[in-house]
Amino acid sequence: MCHRRVVESNQNPDFPNQYLPQREQRQHRGDERANSSPAATMPPPLTHPLFSPPELSYTHTSLLLQPPIRPDARTPTQFRPIIAETNILPGTNGSARICFPDGNEAVVGVKAEVERSAGVIGSLLRKGGRGEGGGGDDNEEEGRKGVGENAWVELTIEIPGLRDDDALPVFLAAMLNEALLASGDLVDRLWINQRWHWKLYIDILLLSPPLSYPIPLLSLTTHLALLSARLPRLISEADEDPLFDNDWEASIHLYPRHNKSSEPTPSKPTATKPKPREQPPVTLLVTVVGENIFFDPSLEEIAVADLLLAVSISETIDDSEPPPEPKPTTTKPPRNIRLLSLRTIDPPARLTPPGVPDALNTAVTQAETPKNKAATTDADVDYSGVWVPPKGGSKRKLIGRIIQMVIEHGGVGEEVLEGLEGVDVG
Amino acid sequence: MAITITPPRPAAILDPSYPPEGEGDNDDDYFDPDGDLQMAGRPTKRAKTTSIVTPGETITEDPQWMRGHGTYNPPNNTKILATVAGTLTTTNKLLSIRPLRARYAPEIGDLVIGRITEVQTTRYLVSLSSPLLSPLPLSAINLPGNILRKRTATDSLNIRTYLSENDLVAAEVQTLHADGSAGLHTRSTRYGKLRNGVFLRVSGTQGGVARGRRQVFELGDGVDVYLGVNGFVFVAQRLHGRSASASAGSAVAEVAATTYSSQNSHIPPATRWEIARVAGVIRALIESGVRVDEEMVRRGYEVSLEEDMVGGDKEGVGYLGGEKGRRIVRRVVGG
Repeated sequence: MCHRRVVESNQNPDFPNQYLPQREQRQHRGDERANSSPAATMPPPLTHPLFSPPELSYTHTSLLLQPPIRPDARTPTQFRPIIAETNILPGTNGSARICFPDGNEAVVGVKAEVERSAGVIGSLLRKGGRGEGGGGDDNEEEGRKGVGENAWVELTIEIPGLRDDDALPVFLAAMLNEALLASGDLVDRLWINQRWHWKLYIDILLLSPPLSYPIPLLSLTTHLALLSARLPRLISEADEDPLFDNDWEASIHLYPRHNKSSEPTPSKPTATKPKPREQPPVTLLVTVVGENIFFDPSLEEIAVADLLLAVSISETIDDSEPPPEPKPTTTKPPRNIRLLSLRTIDPPARLTPPGVPDALNTAVTQAETPKNKAATTDADVDYSGVWVPPKGGSKRKLIGRIIQMVIEHGGVGEEVLEGLEGVDVG
Repeated sequence: MAITITPPRPAAILDPSYPPEGEGDNDDDYFDPDGDLQMAGRPTKRAKTTSIVTPGETITEDPQWMRGHGTYNPPNNTKILATVAGTLTTTNKLLSIRPLRARYAPEIGDLVIGRITEVQTTRYLVSLSSPLLSPLPLSAINLPGNILRKRTATDSLNIRTYLSENDLVAAEVQTLHADGSAGLHTRSTRYGKLRNGVFLRVSGTQGGVARGRRQVFELGDGVDVYLGVNGFVFVAQRLHGRSASASAGSAVAEVAATTYSSQNSHIPPATRWEIARVAGVIRALIESGVRVDEEMVRRGYEVSLEEDMVGGDKEGVGYLGGEKGRRIVRRVVGG
């Protein structure tokens, strides 16, 4: 079962300042600048993703081609190479860092804290019958299903140059939080006993000003940080005040591992049927130009996109059923990938200034046109190579195709998760 | 494989031949804060590591050192502090800091590429990634039609039809003002509004665009490369009028007629692949911190062609980032 939430936002409350054209931005900042010195000749910050109409037109027409030509000559599903490492912050339960080659870099730290639950009665009432994001099939086994609360996970994003109540960090945090809480599996795991729970603080720091829409970067980093996160082992009994093993070696992973060969579990026969383990979510950014679909778009591509879509997926690993007999063929078994959420992001292309066709441009002399009269009707005007901001939405079929590309066997989702598995998470 | 995720490479260990050439091949090139000359009987030679100083860091309190670029000497004190983040270099007793990244300092005669950020009544303000915006007066651009005519009030009313915000221009630095901003001009068919291509930004002082004999050159099959000295680069389809073979008069007229067009010409896919390849080469050079000039770009372009010949990429160019980009740069630098 998957939750699909497609929300079309017509205004741009969720888009950062720098994606607005220059003039609007002035107005946004007017109040701040008014009482500062007349810094009329101070240049804007270098990271302004501003594009002239010819540049936008060039990128757009290149991406419309069949096969498309991306500005950096990647294939449509190719990602930029990523540098990743985990467990870099000593004071956290889990942390990760990811670098993009363009210098974009994010650090995520996960801290856990024991917190007293709101009330025993409340927790009892909630027990078993919440099912808000739990996928409907509650009252399964163990009273732990649905005991968690969404407030137990707090996710904040800090982006240099932006205030913490600016639209971009708030929106990004909401989007990541939504994917994280979608199944309710994580918050259930934070439950300690009737009176106590873990409170998880996920702090995301973008080290560079956002060069492009940073959701994939932040989401991949959060994924790795959560995978590397460990919680101390509980040694107290059921409803006592929690007491933990102070041996960090004995700590357990927040997201349990496949206890096959990596960690030889001491003399504990895991004869009991292991539960399916849900892995932390991954959010991918997808753009659509015409009929072409692109993953991991760069700034230029985002600037001309007809549609910008954030797709959150997560994988559930079911250890209970052994993988089918390895076939002689080299194909890998399909992964159990679930779509968690789908959100459209208002593409900045709508706010870009349109180009002026030569026929209407008084600064271009048209010596070579046979009829030297000015084009009077729109039909006379040649609009090829002129940037026209896109209007309208995208076809439902196209969104279906994106979802399929992400979750199908051998699709992009599997490749990304496979790449992330290659990272040593400690 | 759609995605490659690698662990970070260990910090680069500098080879003993650092610094590569030029300034001070004397033995005590590194800075020794403890004292004066190297002691003769020093048992081990200190490994040459580049350490980065940060703004505000005290470099030395020893009065024998003189302060150079990027340093500061507080009054009534012999301390020398760093004012920029960068690597320390010493020339005899002069301490200076080579910044890691710096803004462009204009010089007269530089070919620069800029983005119009503001349009005023009689001038444009152009962002060159220098500390201040640079003015481009209306009187310093070629107006359409006849090239030499008086600027009228109508022209200043129409100022936005020539260039407007976000447009890219190639220009030359004509004057330097007292505050360090540059006065620009575009009074040549070589300069003017840029279209039919892609824009890249090169930054840093380690790599970056080096001033060369030519900043605009043709490459491969129908591609023009504009290397702005300020680190802005534009890779575009070749302008017909630019080639030397074209008859001068008509070509100039054609270029002049379309100077202020914001409509791209028809660009065939083959040219787009070439542009993507050149842009990829330049990006790879930037990422490896290699200087970008005509020679390096040409060599990189040829190496990338060879690589594709060997590798046999089926379609087009292939992504020139990551390992492939580094391989190309290694071959370029290795010669």
